[in-house]
Amino acid sequence: MSFKQLIFRNLKKNLSNYYLYVFALVFSVALYFAFVTLQYDPSMDEVEGSIKGAAALRAGAVMLIAIIIVFLIYANNLFIKRRSKEIGLLQLVGLTKGKIFQILSVENMMLYFGSMLIGIFVGFSVSKLLMMILIKIMGINEVATLRFSVEALIQTAVVFVCIYVVIMAMNALFIKRQRILHLFQVTSKTEGKVNRVSVIGMLIGVLGIGLIAFGYYLSTRLFSGDFTELNALYFAMLTILGSVIVGTYLFYKGSVSFIFNMIRKKDNGYLSINKVLSLSSIMFRMKSNSILLTIITTVSALAIGLLSLTYISYYSTEKTAEESLPNHFSIPNEADAARFMDELEAAKIEYTEKKVDFHQVHADLSRIMETYDEENGSFNPGDATMVVISDEAVEGIDLSRNESIIVNFPDTLQQFMSLKETGQISLKGQAQTVTLNYKGLEDRNVLPSLLTLGGFPVAVVDQGVYQQLKEDMDESIQKESTVYVGVDVKDKGEIEEADKIFQELGFQENFGYSSRLYVSSTGKITMGLAMFLVGFFGLTFLITSGCILYFKQMDESEEEKGTYKILRKLGFTNKDLLNGIRVKQLFNFGIPLVVGLCHSYFAVKSGWFFFGTELWTPMIIVMVLYTLLYSIFGLLSVLYYKKVIKDSL
Amino acid sequence: MSILEARKIHKRYGNKWNKQEVLRGIDIEVEKGEFVGIMGPSGSGKTTLLNVLSSIDKVTNGSIKIEGQEFTKMKEKQLAEFRKNHLGFIFQEYNLLDTLSVKENILLPLTIKKVTKKEAQNKFAAVAKELGILEVKDKYPGEISGGQKQRTSAARAFIHDPSIIFADEPTGALDSKSASDLLNKLGDLNEKRKATIVMVTHDPLAASYCSRVIFIKDGQIFTQLNKGDESRQTFFNDIIKTQGVLGGVQHEL
Repeated sequence: MSFKQLIFRNLKKNLSNYYLYVFALVFSVALYFAFVTLQYDPSMDEVEGSIKGAAALRAGAVMLIAIIIVFLIYANNLFIKRRSKEIGLLQLVGLTKGKIFQILSVENMMLYFGSMLIGIFVGFSVSKLLMMILIKIMGINEVATLRFSVEALIQTAVVFVCIYVVIMAMNALFIKRQRILHLFQVTSKTEGKVNRVSVIGMLIGVLGIGLIAFGYYLSTRLFSGDFTELNALYFAMLTILGSVIVGTYLFYKGSVSFIFNMIRKKDNGYLSINKVLSLSSIMFRMKSNSILLTIITTVSALAIGLLSLTYISYYSTEKTAEESLPNHFSIPNEADAARFMDELEAAKIEYTEKKVDFHQVHADLSRIMETYDEENGSFNPGDATMVVISDEAVEGIDLSRNESIIVNFPDTLQQFMSLKETGQISLKGQAQTVTLNYKGLEDRNVLPSLLTLGGFPVAVVDQGVYQQLKEDMDESIQKESTVYVGVDVKDKGEIEEADKIFQELGFQENFGYSSRLYVSSTGKITMGLAMFLVGFFGLTFLITSGCILYFKQMDESEEEKGTYKILRKLGFTNKDLLNGIRVKQLFNFGIPLVVGLCHSYFAVKSGWFFFGTELWTPMIIVMVLYTLLYSIFGLLSVLYYKKVIKDSL
Repeated sequence: MSILEARKIHKRYGNKWNKQEVLRGIDIEVEKGEFVGIMGPSGSGKTTLLNVLSSIDKVTNGSIKIEGQEFTKMKEKQLAEFRKNHLGFIFQEYNLLDTLSVKENILLPLTIKKVTKKEAQNKFAAVAKELGILEVKDKYPGEISGGQKQRTSAARAFIHDPSIIFADEPTGALDSKSASDLLNKLGDLNEKRKATIVMVTHDPLAASYCSRVIFIKDGQIFTQLNKGDESRQTFFNDIIKTQGVLGGVQHEL
């Protein structure tokens, strides 16, 4: 057989064997090419220009390369290990290491660059789809047109040629280091000896769970007011991160075997087939895989957390805009408001107008404060500046002379300070002080947050008291305007037209002037791109980590083939074994997933309110989607095991 | 009453163009409580015979009955059911699961039969005591000696009281001391439990523990020896003699 034939035969045989390696390659190339094509597409200029997206995209490309390199090297290592026997055989018949390396390189080159071509083709088709998705979620009115980008092609080719060189270098190292005997032994070597669960292992296990629990506990306290100083907050965050990651590592190293061992102990040797295949197999492997699993878990948690947070912001852009802007258009100036309304009338757009008088007063809120750390706080509850309005501006509220309520209280603020149900507040003008009975919080927004000192609550008092305070107001703490005109367009379909008029008048530029539509659509562009990027990486990571776990399972199934043979001889049916394997996969894929989901849940829970107004819906959507996509790999490995079990006897 | 009854079994490997007949019409009958040895030179088909008799491999022609049940035409699922109720196995390479303790390994066959926990514990205690592995019950196979491993394997074969036990070169990987130890135990169990054992071996010493030895050559039964009332030593000498006649390779000049 000539050299060429040898290569071709190997290739043909390997293609069916290593279809997953090919898949990994095609997938990586497609992903990268699609990403780079997007980056070079002229229609992305708007994105790049609008929010300095160029830097984000470039950073994204670098990150993508990092993920791909790690992934491909891992896949390659696994597969060269599986071929070690063949390499040993070639060496045995007298081929030099150099020659073997040459065979491998040529083989790999064809496999690699063949996959690359397919990948580029797939990537190009996918990039149009991605473009459409991006444009859709950003809410830009544009048609997704795409041209084949030569720059993208060159960049992809360069990157993957470099990766090829790196992989080949690793293969060369692998071949160089091995002796014939070793090469034969690699596959038969099991992952470390079966060790019994020791006392130290148990301690490690308990410590791991303890550290995770401590991290979780700390995360719930993070923004509850315990850490108000920036340094303390920063330190607390680092502590959480450290204790959760170390805890996760110890959890895999010790806790899993420890818990499984307790379950086994309970059975006193009488182990069902499901437990034989799942518990006993996993508990000895968990330990040697603990670093890999920790990395997978941490990055999954990161991906799910970031996805949830960006989706929360995206999901809440409209709500956030609604919360900060109570009316469709906010104009803190009567003359300008009149001009705008004239224009609306000219354009035959029906609208309602709402005028609110307001001004700033000194307020003593110390008697209604529930929790507030005065030393580190940004204001002094005994002498705060707050906006006051008349009860006539708030629909359905009529207060008597000695009463007051609070409106415009944002959720974000509630995380830092909470108010008592009742109490007394004092409002002070230039000379007089009025003390009023505080009657509670009214969950509604009357003024845009820009006009209320950046989202500080607003006090509502009786019209008479309001007049009294107004005559006595302290000029030194007043802002530019003391009147707010909110305009609502009656027909929702006409908002866009009204927004056009608003923009033509140039109002959006002025302080305090705002169109809700404009704010929410710019928010959507920013958050949309962020979500797209995070989603892209989340998906990449999901697929790569899923593939890595799947490869691992392929490996394990080969190693456990002997076990299946024995069990089938003992009279267990294929179905019995497959049921056991299902349980095993449930743990194998489930444990990192559940731990990752838990981590991200606590991470998101601790600070989600900075990102938006809705926690549950977006977070659950992200988690369910992630879980579903992730389970595909679990299913794939069950199918693979099915084949192995069938062939085992 | 015969436990195992095999009639005219043939086994062919290969495809249309390249056939090889490994078993050529073998008839075997094994009575209840017998300890039968199968001997023969390498390539004579003894392991294939054992695989076929133990339902792990399928015959090309012929019928095999165990306790009157014909299983050559059974489907995979029925076969599994059949194996778990009627058969026990001991192999040269022990075939223990590395991730299970000795006790867990031994109890495996009972878990498929849905025996109650208490009964399982009793059976375990009895069989482990007989085979002398009670003190290593919580160890893993990696931590015990070859002899102990093989006795564990034997305990697993005996624990569910199968109709027949198949042993494939059980002493093949053991030193002489552990080997005779194991064979003595097997002999004891054969007598005490009235267990039926079919053992493939190429070691005449191991075969001398049997009550009957069948010699196979080129896929056919060559001859058989009965121990009868002879001492083990004379039986051993007979076996050696027969083996000498049997030879390994035919010398045609």
